[in-house]
Amino acid sequence: MIGLKNKNNLVFILGVTGFISSATSAGFTSSGASFSVTSSVGSGTIQNISTQITPTSWSNNGGWTATNTSVTWVNNIQGWNPQTLSGFTNGNIVIRNNTSTAQDFSVMIAMNGMATGPLVASGSVGGQFVNGSASLGSLTSTGALWSAGIDNVTVNSQLNNALFFAQPFQVVSLGNFNFSNLEIANSITNQASIGFSLRLSAGGEASFTSVFAFQTVPGPASIALIGFLPILRSRRRR
Amino acid sequence: MKNTITIACASLSLAVTTFETQADFTQPGFLFRLFEGGLASGGEACNFGSVTQVAANEWFFQGQHSNTIGTSMSWAYLVDPDPFITGTLSLTNETAFSKEYVVDFSLPISPAIAQSTVSGQMSGTLTDSNGSGSASLTSTNGGAIYTALADDMFVQSLMSNANQIVTSPFGTNSFSGGSFGQGLPPLAGPSINSTIGIRYSFTLSAGDSVSFSSIFVALPVPAPGVIAMGILAGFTARRGRRRSA
Repeated sequence: MIGLKNKNNLVFILGVTGFISSATSAGFTSSGASFSVTSSVGSGTIQNISTQITPTSWSNNGGWTATNTSVTWVNNIQGWNPQTLSGFTNGNIVIRNNTSTAQDFSVMIAMNGMATGPLVASGSVGGQFVNGSASLGSLTSTGALWSAGIDNVTVNSQLNNALFFAQPFQVVSLGNFNFSNLEIANSITNQASIGFSLRLSAGGEASFTSVFAFQTVPGPASIALIGFLPILRSRRRR
Repeated sequence: MKNTITIACASLSLAVTTFETQADFTQPGFLFRLFEGGLASGGEACNFGSVTQVAANEWFFQGQHSNTIGTSMSWAYLVDPDPFITGTLSLTNETAFSKEYVVDFSLPISPAIAQSTVSGQMSGTLTDSNGSGSASLTSTNGGAIYTALADDMFVQSLMSNANQIVTSPFGTNSFSGGSFGQGLPPLAGPSINSTIGIRYSFTLSAGDSVSFSSIFVALPVPAPGVIAMGILAGFTARRGRRRSA
């Protein structure tokens, strides 16, 4: 009897250890963030200030400026939270074209780190387009306007082939786009990122709020062990 | 000869009007004020970011402000003291409880406007930034989220009794806040002596973000004398053409 109890305890400990091991192995291990902007207007200067706001999350305030164009962001990065077993990046970004012609912009915000798959991801994007010029303004996606990527591979995109018009000095809502329960079998070996790719008319301003989040899926061994525990306990009670 | 003088006077009058509207090319003191929980912070917007002159009478202000009580905000605004304000405010409540906010943007104008027409519009996006599964944006005490101001007085408002929500983790809700004065006839506004402004007043749930894009434009109504001179010039020119025919 005593032997059986010890055996059950051993299995229980093994199960818990297996679950913890599976969870922690999915940890996003780096707090690093990287920002890149390319534009048809030419090269610009990036400045970013990263501030740690909790033991596992960082706030990034920064921007990119070039001649009469700018990109500004306030972006939070939750590298990895061992309690919620999740990581995410969220924030606001504003892209402004103060030149006299349409300009292309491509912006990428990346969380650098690693996480062991499988993972399940969710996210969303919404925004506005402001035409601050006296002519008809337009916002066009160049491919997908918003995309979420893992290790430079797109795993979800929104606002594909989007085209918005705004009359002079008018604001247009871009709508909201959400996705959830996106299964990602692969591990993250380098970075998870969100990207924006668009063409903005002269005097135009595009602003977006977006989130890309992912969390670990307990491994099959952990699930099996957890499922096995009640059977063993029931056997012990008998 | 008489016709020529009349046309010259009319042209001069219009030219003076044009000159007056572009008389002040100095950088305006674009201000912001953030009020939350009885505390106020803010100041010259350019002191919390940068300002760029993008046209003879247009400036672009962008900046960020984070305070010690859990609020971070950023803005990107194009302003013209002639006047208009257009741009985007983004704000995140990084605390663990919902908070009431009032954010004022104020722009000195030049020249003063004896009689104005006004127009404005806004849209926004609410995001469940902390993944809690819910986010809410409400107008405080049933007021309006957007209020256009002239000389710190009410002009028009949008999104009264607003209640926007997000019900999915990391979800987003984009909303159109409406507009005023963008059709015909133009919407009459007040006389404006010193400033125009936009006020956002709202309550935002814990850990969540909101962004507002908006516009407020005030245009001077041409003085009756200028209109009369313009019409007179047209009649006189027509009479002159008839005579020469």
